Amino acid sequence: MSSSETVVDPDKVRLWSEDYEGHDVISTRTFGFWMYVLSDAMLFATLFAAYGVLSYPHSYYTGPTPAQFVAPWYTFVQTMALFLSVLVYGWAMASLKDGNKSGVINGLLGALVLGILFLALDIHDVMRLVAAGITPEVSGGLSAFYCLTQVHAAHIFAGLIWIIVMLWQVARKGFTEDVVGRLISLRMFWQFQAVMWVFIYVFVYLWGYMS
Amino acid sequence: MLVHVPGPWSPLLGRLALSEIPYKNLILAPLFVLIVLVGLALVGWITKRGLWGYLWREWFTTVDHKKLGIMYIFLGLVMLFRGFIDGLMIRTQQMLAVGPGDNGIKAMGAIHGYLTPFHFGQIYSAHGLIMILLAATPLLVGLMNIIVPLQIGARDMAFPYLNALGFWITAAGAALIMISLFVGDFSHNGWFGYAPIFEMSYSPGVGVDYWIWTLELIALGTTLGSINFLATVVKMRAPGMTWGRLPVFTWSAVSANIIALTSFPCLQVALALVGADRYLGTHFFTAGFGGNLMLYTNLFWLWGHPEVYFVILPAFGMLGEIIPTFSEKPLFGYVAMVLATFAIAGVSWIVWLHHFFTMGMGPYVSTEFSVATMLVGIPTGVKVFNWAFTMYRGRISYTAAMHWALGALFLLLIGGLTGMMLSIPAINYMVHNSVFVVAHFHMMLLCIVYAVFGAVIYWWPKVFGFRLNEAWGKIMFWLFSAGTALVFIPMFMLGFMGETRRLDWPFDPHWAGLFDVQEFGIAIYVLSVVSFVVLLFVSIRDRAKERVGADAWGTSRSLEWLTDSPVPFYNFAMVPEINARDEVAWRREHGFLDIRPDHYKAIHMPNNTPVALYIGATLFLLGFALTWRIWWLSGIALLATVALMIWRSAKGDPGYVISAEEIARLDREARQKMPVDGGDTVPVGGFAGGQIMAYSREVSDQDRSHRGPKSW
Amino acid sequence: MSHGHVNPIDHPEVQMASRRGYMTGFILASVLMALATFLVSSHALPPFALLLAIMACAGFAVIAQVYFLLHIDISEHNIWNTVALVAFIPLFVITIGLTWWMFSQLYLRTMPMIPGMPGMH
Ligand code: HEM
Ligand SMILES: [Cu+2]
Repeated sequence: MSSSETVVDPDKVRLWSEDYEGHDVISTRTFGFWMYVLSDAMLFATLFAAYGVLSYPHSYYTGPTPAQFVAPWYTFVQTMALFLSVLVYGWAMASLKDGNKSGVINGLLGALVLGILFLALDIHDVMRLVAAGITPEVSGGLSAFYCLTQVHAAHIFAGLIWIIVMLWQVARKGFTEDVVGRLISLRMFWQFQAVMWVFIYVFVYLWGYMS
Repeated sequence: MLVHVPGPWSPLLGRLALSEIPYKNLILAPLFVLIVLVGLALVGWITKRGLWGYLWREWFTTVDHKKLGIMYIFLGLVMLFRGFIDGLMIRTQQMLAVGPGDNGIKAMGAIHGYLTPFHFGQIYSAHGLIMILLAATPLLVGLMNIIVPLQIGARDMAFPYLNALGFWITAAGAALIMISLFVGDFSHNGWFGYAPIFEMSYSPGVGVDYWIWTLELIALGTTLGSINFLATVVKMRAPGMTWGRLPVFTWSAVSANIIALTSFPCLQVALALVGADRYLGTHFFTAGFGGNLMLYTNLFWLWGHPEVYFVILPAFGMLGEIIPTFSEKPLFGYVAMVLATFAIAGVSWIVWLHHFFTMGMGPYVSTEFSVATMLVGIPTGVKVFNWAFTMYRGRISYTAAMHWALGALFLLLIGGLTGMMLSIPAINYMVHNSVFVVAHFHMMLLCIVYAVFGAVIYWWPKVFGFRLNEAWGKIMFWLFSAGTALVFIPMFMLGFMGETRRLDWPFDPHWAGLFDVQEFGIAIYVLSVVSFVVLLFVSIRDRAKERVGADAWGTSRSLEWLTDSPVPFYNFAMVPEINARDEVAWRREHGFLDIRPDHYKAIHMPNNTPVALYIGATLFLLGFALTWRIWWLSGIALLATVALMIWRSAKGDPGYVISAEEIARLDREARQKMPVDGGDTVPVGGFAGGQIMAYSREVSDQDRSHRGPKSW
Repeated sequence: MSHGHVNPIDHPEVQMASRRGYMTGFILASVLMALATFLVSSHALPPFALLLAIMACAGFAVIAQVYFLLHIDISEHNIWNTVALVAFIPLFVITIGLTWWMFSQLYLRTMPMIPGMPGMH
């Protein structure tokens, strides 16, 4: 790359970018958030690795295995609640396209309600198990089971808070650059929870039920 | 759900009690008094000079990447010193306690040497954790913070506030481990922790909890930082800064931060699961109840090995900047260098099992990980050869920075070769957990420290506008190197003689001589620490004489040398257009180096904010409250953190605009303060000066009429 | 940094939202999950085939979501997200795969074998 041979015309060369408008704030932000989402995915990957190691028969010690307590169709309802919440959030984003404020707010509200439904179903399920004496303290296997499912639930909880915050910000501030950027980030966060749920549902609940 | 803790607990103070403060300890109590006195003196001095306002405005609330970088480096140096003192104490214990006849200093409650085994365990655990995560990591992150935006022509990092947040969270982690000195105790299970010894039943104290939350905080801070670096490099490069022109240091920052972003979650999970075992009574890593102790080791090293490459890759990047500058040649094999960097980063993901070959998973698994580990040697070798070829037939000036860079190469060689030995399972079974391993990774980590010292000397003038004293830099180098040799050559030998690591009582009398040599080495290290202080003192005293212009070394190549030294807060008055891979070298060759923009544009800058500092403080409180199981305080700290985040998000930051005229004025003033390049400030050694003269040509009158104010 | 004057709603990342796409992603993922649930709860297949079947369901559902919902494609505005994901996926596979592999080998050598032990290899 030595450029000493090439003759450079000092009148033509551009040393300063006259027309540089600065970076694209929204995509920088969403890209940064996508980085976070991927590192969160790594967190789940690690939990899955741990779950894999702790889901042998001996991992459940003398306690019950998921085959004995998972109710597939119940959890399927949970799945639908989450998927619908994500869908409705998507509608909010579609309304954002034409700057439709009430559309965005309604979409966020719908996503919020369905998200709460998901969480309520999850809590109900946990209470059912705990009442039956199936708790994380029983065995390493159950610890891993609870960990994976409840870490996901914690993400949902955080997402719900975030949705509430965004409802407020949309209502108060309208579609500023900040708000729009956050809405896109939240969309990725929320959809990502649905993606992780597919793995959890299939590999923890269904597979656990099978084996 | 909650685990019942042995010993007293009260709702108000959790496990905290007066008896947890080791005021009777003959080492800690005086240390505490000393620190309080020094702290008071410092506070008094700052108050007397009326510096609080300045500190608050310019440092504590800053979001400027350069200032945050300086604070990272300051934190790193302070923790390096603390870690060094720990190391000194470990060495002294082993020197004193050698042999079966040793009876220990009874006045200090010791059975052997001068430390109790429990105290000794805490010291080596803190030493390892501090050195890797609170010394090396902040030093590197700090340097990346300062240099990466400059090298790509950006005004700041992509997310300046997030940058501040990352720093303050890391600082909160440092504060947590420091407070464990005087309130309660620290983990004694080694920096990486042993399952199941860290379980509640075997480690009932708060030490392990301190260890968990310190690591979690640092992991969080570092992850935030890595997001920022990646977004910055991907989205904020100046026009013309194509991937093929990215300086190698920035490339290495990219690869290192990919590693950080993907591996720190593993650490967070590993530690969170330990926390779940200790707080909630789960059975992830217990011996029994279906838990698996080796799972912990696996999850830890899943992060741990990538982490060691997270710290060495930026160091490689620094060598890639220092060596060409002082060899007056472009880096040899740029593309190969970048590919090698990413090859190392990639391979670093499939080798972690070499830290526990002895687990017993059989030949197939061992073979895979052994071969993968050895593969790292290939790209590393490529790098070493590229550096060597860069120097080959170059005009090498043996500056202080170059001394450190060459020293780093040498240590890399030793560390790499011993690593190759360790990666052979048959050998590993022999020396695993011996001090041979300790010597190996100290060679590697010292390679980083050498590179960091080189980089600090190299980039110091960019940040502060004057060069460090060359002579003292070299004196420090030689002292430090003598210390390194005297401490670690005997350590390799002791490893082969069968000394296992972490012995508070090395019983074999044959080792005594080598321990004495090591202690002597430590004394030399102390001298090098002193010479570092002298170096700083002398350099700051003589700063007027060492004042430099934008291109501080006269032979530097990458973009950061284009802007003034010290760098103005907006980095570049006009965003540069990049024309070549080594832009500054290119401009120098064509005589454009002194040309300033002839008109300016308004600049949008972010405002300072104290929120990052507040969040650091609340997270520190959270860590402290969780450690001591003060539930109400944990709840409040957590709520406060979330509330601060929401508040900050609601408030937003409109930033402020500096008008084009203002920039023009600032730029003119900066120009006037600058010493003339090519004057007595340029040559450092050898032929440096002559070389530039050969490249540069006089700026003709024609150029003058075309660009720039007539300020040159 | 000087995008303040542009209406953020016109940003391509806002404009790429699509009701149709989100609906498609939703339907595909839901149908696949329903199918997997049905297969498992009715024990319609022998265990190993069942495992393969639900893995396939999960795989396709995730691909549908990633493509239709998360906009992971090679268009100009998403390419970097896609590059990042493609770079990270191997790491997920390595993390999980190598861990499972090494522990299955470890258990082979250290655990009493229970007859009919369902493998998580
Ligand atoms: C050529 C490259 C390298 C090879 C082949 C290599 C190989 C190894 C092996 C096999 C071990 C395990 C020894 C044992 O515990 O029995 C080890 C330990 C270690 N290595 Fe390396 N290594 C290399 C580079 C590095 C680098 C670049 C660093 C850090 C910057 C590093 C830091 C460490 C640390 C910290 C440990 C031990 C940690 C502990 O047990 O506390 N290594 N290395
Ligand atoms: Cu390693």
